[in-house]
Amino acid sequence: MSRSERDYECPERMQAAAYVLSALEPEEADRYGTHLSECSQCRADLAKLQTVADSLPASVPKLRAPVQLRERVMVSVRREAELLQAAGPSADRPEPRRERRRLRVPQLLGVALAVGVGVAVGVVLFSSGTTHPVTHVTVAQLVAGSPGAGAALRQTDTHAELVVHGMNQPPRGKIYEVWLARERGAPIATNALFGVSRSGGASVNVPGDLAAVRRVMVTAEPRGGSTQPTSSPVVIVALGSS
Amino acid sequence: MPKPLRQLDISTPAKLRRLADEELMDLVCQNDASAFEIVLERHVDAAFSLAYRMVGRRSLAEDVVQEALLSLWRTAPRYDRSRGSVRTWILGITHHRAVDALRRDGVRTSRDVSDDALQEQVPAPERTDAEVIRRDQAEVMRAVLDQLPAEQLQVIELAYFGGFTHTEIAEMLKLPIGTVKGRMRLGLEKMRNRIEPEGAIA
Repeated sequence: MSRSERDYECPERMQAAAYVLSALEPEEADRYGTHLSECSQCRADLAKLQTVADSLPASVPKLRAPVQLRERVMVSVRREAELLQAAGPSADRPEPRRERRRLRVPQLLGVALAVGVGVAVGVVLFSSGTTHPVTHVTVAQLVAGSPGAGAALRQTDTHAELVVHGMNQPPRGKIYEVWLARERGAPIATNALFGVSRSGGASVNVPGDLAAVRRVMVTAEPRGGSTQPTSSPVVIVALGSS
Repeated sequence: MPKPLRQLDISTPAKLRRLADEELMDLVCQNDASAFEIVLERHVDAAFSLAYRMVGRRSLAEDVVQEALLSLWRTAPRYDRSRGSVRTWILGITHHRAVDALRRDGVRTSRDVSDDALQEQVPAPERTDAEVIRRDQAEVMRAVLDQLPAEQLQVIELAYFGGFTHTEIAEMLKLPIGTVKGRMRLGLEKMRNRIEPEGAIA
């Protein structure tokens, strides 16, 4: 590309304004996002317009957020902070992303929101304490239930436990079942069946060897459990390739 | 003998309150819920105001903000201060969540000021210097928008606050897509020329 020529104008230039206003169609936005990583002209152009778009919220009439909203958020945050702290002081959070300026909300999120669920980005923690067994805590990527719902898988060398909070009750006549999904093939049924407390909480042992497992999932199944999932997952914990 | 003073812990709210947003974010990255609470206190009104302006319903605006704030908490290490203030980041996440909510079926059709909108229009009190400065910025921004040609303001508002894509806007206004994009660009450039001398960008 003749980017160094002074008069060159990138044909994608007209996308920038629509992009900062979130007005591109999703596929277009993805394409433009990729283009940005290759075109310094568009990056510079976008940065200027982004600042303007970022200032638009200032024009909105100022309201007071409901107190219950703050409280609901802080209840979830404190609960997760406790869980994360239990995993050890050297807990790692996700790596900062650098590749792109704007992060499009992943497809999964769209689906998740459509069914009114809480969503957490996968968080993996490592405890380096030598006196305790090594614990990995992986926060669920998808949890159906109240907006503050959450779930996490705690693993030691010998033991794995799924902890959930804020989940809805399973539909009448159903029970939650834990599944283990590998890279390929159908999810493997487990004998971990559970219901949730009135507040939507539960803690359940996850049996089996998780070494090759990529996702721990929960679906609502008829009482007694199923051998193949009969509904979409309400919890997904994505395990890293570690 | 004087009683020994109780040592203040670094994480007491009083101390945390003196920290800048960016410093608080460092603590949030270490899973400090109290630090997060201060960040939340500082920006939750702005996030809620934006969400309410976009989705027009109290309960939905609350859901949008709750999702945005929890996402902020869970992805705190992704905050990069070289890309803008914590407030800008929070409002950016809120905006995206609100756009998603608007693009879901059914939300737009039921949007209006029918619900308890009037009760919601209680302005947040101005408690700090920062908030007074922001009020001035808000006035500047409103003036900047007022001065935009109506057809440019329209496409910017439909896109940013209405969550419509340029294709939808083109259909709605019976205009070629190129014209819609052109108006967006002209409008934003015009705003930029007015905002920058005023230093109004938060």
